[in-house]
Amino acid sequence: MRNQSFTKHYYIMLLPGFIWLLLISIIPMFGIVIAFQDFNPGKGFFQSEWVGLDNFEYMFALNDTPVIFFNTVFIAVMKMIGNLIVPLIFAIMLNELRMMLVKRWIQTIVYLPHFLSWVILSGILLDVFSYTGPINTVMTFIGLDPILFFARADLFPFIIVASDVWKEFGFNTIIYLAALTSINPSLYEAAAIDGAARLRRMWHVTLPGLRTTIVLLAVLSLGNVLNAGFDQIFNLYNPLVYSTGDIIDTWVYREGLLNMQYGLATAVGLLKSVVSFILIIVSYQLASRFANYRIF
Amino acid sequence: MAKRFMLVSLVFILLLSACSSGGNNTENATRHTDNGNSSTNVSGEKEATEDESKEQADPFGKYAETITLNYGKEVDPTDKSLPEGDTPENNQYSRYIKEVLNIDTKVTWQAASGTNYDQKVNLAISSNDLPDALIVKDSQLRAMVKAGQLADLTEAFERYASPSVKKFMEKTNGVSQKSVTFDGKMYAIPSIQVQSDGVHQMWIRKDWLDKLGLEAPKTIEDLEKVARAFVEQDPDDNGKDDTIGIAGQQNGGRLYANFLESTNNTYGLDPIFGAYQSYPGFWLKNESGEAVYGSILPETKEALAKLRDMYANGLIDRELGIRKSASETVTDGKAGIFFGPWWMGYGPLPDAIKNNPEANWQAYLLPLDADGEFNAHMGAPSTLFVVVRKGYEHPEAVIKMLNLLVRDESTFDISVPIGHYPLRVPMSYTDESEYSAQALREVLAGTKTAADFTDPGYKLLAADIANIKKVKKEPYDNLDIEYWDPKADEGTWKRAYSLLVGSSSLTQDYNKIYSVLYSQTKTMESRWTNLKKLEDETFLKIIMGAAPIDDFDKFVEDWKRQGGDIITKEVQEHVK
Repeated sequence: MRNQSFTKHYYIMLLPGFIWLLLISIIPMFGIVIAFQDFNPGKGFFQSEWVGLDNFEYMFALNDTPVIFFNTVFIAVMKMIGNLIVPLIFAIMLNELRMMLVKRWIQTIVYLPHFLSWVILSGILLDVFSYTGPINTVMTFIGLDPILFFARADLFPFIIVASDVWKEFGFNTIIYLAALTSINPSLYEAAAIDGAARLRRMWHVTLPGLRTTIVLLAVLSLGNVLNAGFDQIFNLYNPLVYSTGDIIDTWVYREGLLNMQYGLATAVGLLKSVVSFILIIVSYQLASRFANYRIF
Repeated sequence: MAKRFMLVSLVFILLLSACSSGGNNTENATRHTDNGNSSTNVSGEKEATEDESKEQADPFGKYAETITLNYGKEVDPTDKSLPEGDTPENNQYSRYIKEVLNIDTKVTWQAASGTNYDQKVNLAISSNDLPDALIVKDSQLRAMVKAGQLADLTEAFERYASPSVKKFMEKTNGVSQKSVTFDGKMYAIPSIQVQSDGVHQMWIRKDWLDKLGLEAPKTIEDLEKVARAFVEQDPDDNGKDDTIGIAGQQNGGRLYANFLESTNNTYGLDPIFGAYQSYPGFWLKNESGEAVYGSILPETKEALAKLRDMYANGLIDRELGIRKSASETVTDGKAGIFFGPWWMGYGPLPDAIKNNPEANWQAYLLPLDADGEFNAHMGAPSTLFVVVRKGYEHPEAVIKMLNLLVRDESTFDISVPIGHYPLRVPMSYTDESEYSAQALREVLAGTKTAADFTDPGYKLLAADIANIKKVKKEPYDNLDIEYWDPKADEGTWKRAYSLLVGSSSLTQDYNKIYSVLYSQTKTMESRWTNLKKLEDETFLKIIMGAAPIDDFDKFVEDWKRQGGDIITKEVQEHVK
């Protein structure tokens, strides 16, 4: 890894990603000055009136602020856990499958939803969970009362998390499958010779082999604690579930884009970014400590 | 080690791409780039200097050389009326403008009507990246004036507006003029809408009523009875329990029109509130002449309690506020009652009768309140505004286009919706629908003829009278669907049905309640989103049984505390 000539082409491969990151994420970052301004688009960043921390003060005075922060963290953490565990179990199960053709088929099918946008999936979900949709039809058939799922604030976060895990687990499985291929097959053979059955081999060979990947993914996902998924929630929520479903991003959208309160919306967004940034640093430290993972 | 590094890079790249899919798809409306600008600008400037004189210019003057006008366009994604080969950018209307005025209209971007278009306009404002002209709402107009993004149209309007357009403006007693005037300068051309756009009536399946032997419901009690019959007695005879009594708003829709969006709230429940003399979302005057917000008054609580009761009994669409498309309930023949303004003949009814030619939708100014009166909250005469970007060389071009629209609208083939006319905002006398409906009835009854209606300001009336008998079958005084022939001329039918069925009732007397204010005050700019969220959430929860009715009292308190009181004072100042 310290060998320069060996790693050069990896950096070249990373280059397009970095250019993209620069254009889409780094340069627009200068827009955060809006958080300290009474931003007027006609005057631009340089002439708009400077209001200091007014936007932040107003933000903390709002009754909504704690609720949307809680909703965001709650949904995001649940998603993190779900997206870590479900793909792991699925990858191990898939790895035990010996028929290659079936394995490939399953792998392809489960990761198809990843490529559909939430705009399309939300329409499908709303239909599936609607009052006359398939789920309620089954529920009435087995004698339960139909439920209007998207009107239930208590169920909303769980529908969000479950549908997100369903959409993404196939894709996340790939990472684990990649890690599984790096486990030395001779370990399995040795274990088999020592008389370990399938479950034992899974426990003593597969899981330890995946440990670094699991820790790494868990720790890196910490940076997403405040990303609960705008596309998904925006396309599924309604006023009935504001109390549990309104997240920072949807609130910023309504306040900033619909109500044109650029300063306030940017202030909330900036706060979110700062918290995320701290979490990323913490997660990097943890990653280097527990998974021996370093970027630099 | 190499394998390890590869794995780590893979993880990293995947994470990066996973993060990226999150937030960056705001720019999803279609963008057309065109470089046809540079050459035309030169000739345009020359012409502008040529007629520098101050006197009245020709409102329909054709440009000597083609000028280009880029604009953002709202399109209805479900509209399939454009003939093969035509596009939202290039259609019969844009070609007509090119031919008569020599203006080449180009669509810079387009977005689906409603929230998507608003969002696109807001993005254009916030990024200061404006096309030459746009149609905007009141709050957007204010933001753009504040940002100094707009051209001053005072002089252009004075010189180029046609007499008809000026007369429409005068007829609103200066209300429309005032809504676009800031510091004595005119920054937009306002729409001048028919007042009937703001009156929400009850549309009901009369064929269902007849089948079940019922009358159109006069009171709230009747309404409950009829809705119950529609739900329980299988009026569509398909043996399934799948009918809806009263249709409700879709996800993102409005429960009732409000002072900022005061018109055209199809599928809202406005008349039910009206029957309790409750006008939520409107600024009213109380007995002592002070401004109060309608949503926090006890009448509103009463109306909510009734709606909650009706919802619990299954009389209102169970998927109120969640459904993706409310119009489907009407076009699929599931709903028996919905509330909407006069123009339902333009949509959703054409699709409804295509699916079921017997769907006999009739409109009534019902239900009545306890005193037997129909109460309607009334809209602002101007809710849409045509604005021109500061620095555009031909600010008068949009005025000429509107002049042309007003002059020639009656000659257009409206099987392609008039919404495809570039930068079209409604312009007419405010009483156009009622007046036209009355005129058509008199002509059909034979008491008057086309010659009796000579005011050219009722711009479509001559064509309406000439065409009415194409689609209306005898007996002329029976408006049931079986006495219409929509297939003979669908364009004419849409308008004639909307007028005769949708506007006739408006000629009778009813209570007109105006909001004392139709725009935002200073504090509203920062607080209204939250107050609105509180209101939307509480009301929908109360109706759908997710919160007790007494949450209303808590809402009133919260509303006042979170800025409502300050805002009420500001509105009070404003109306003094």
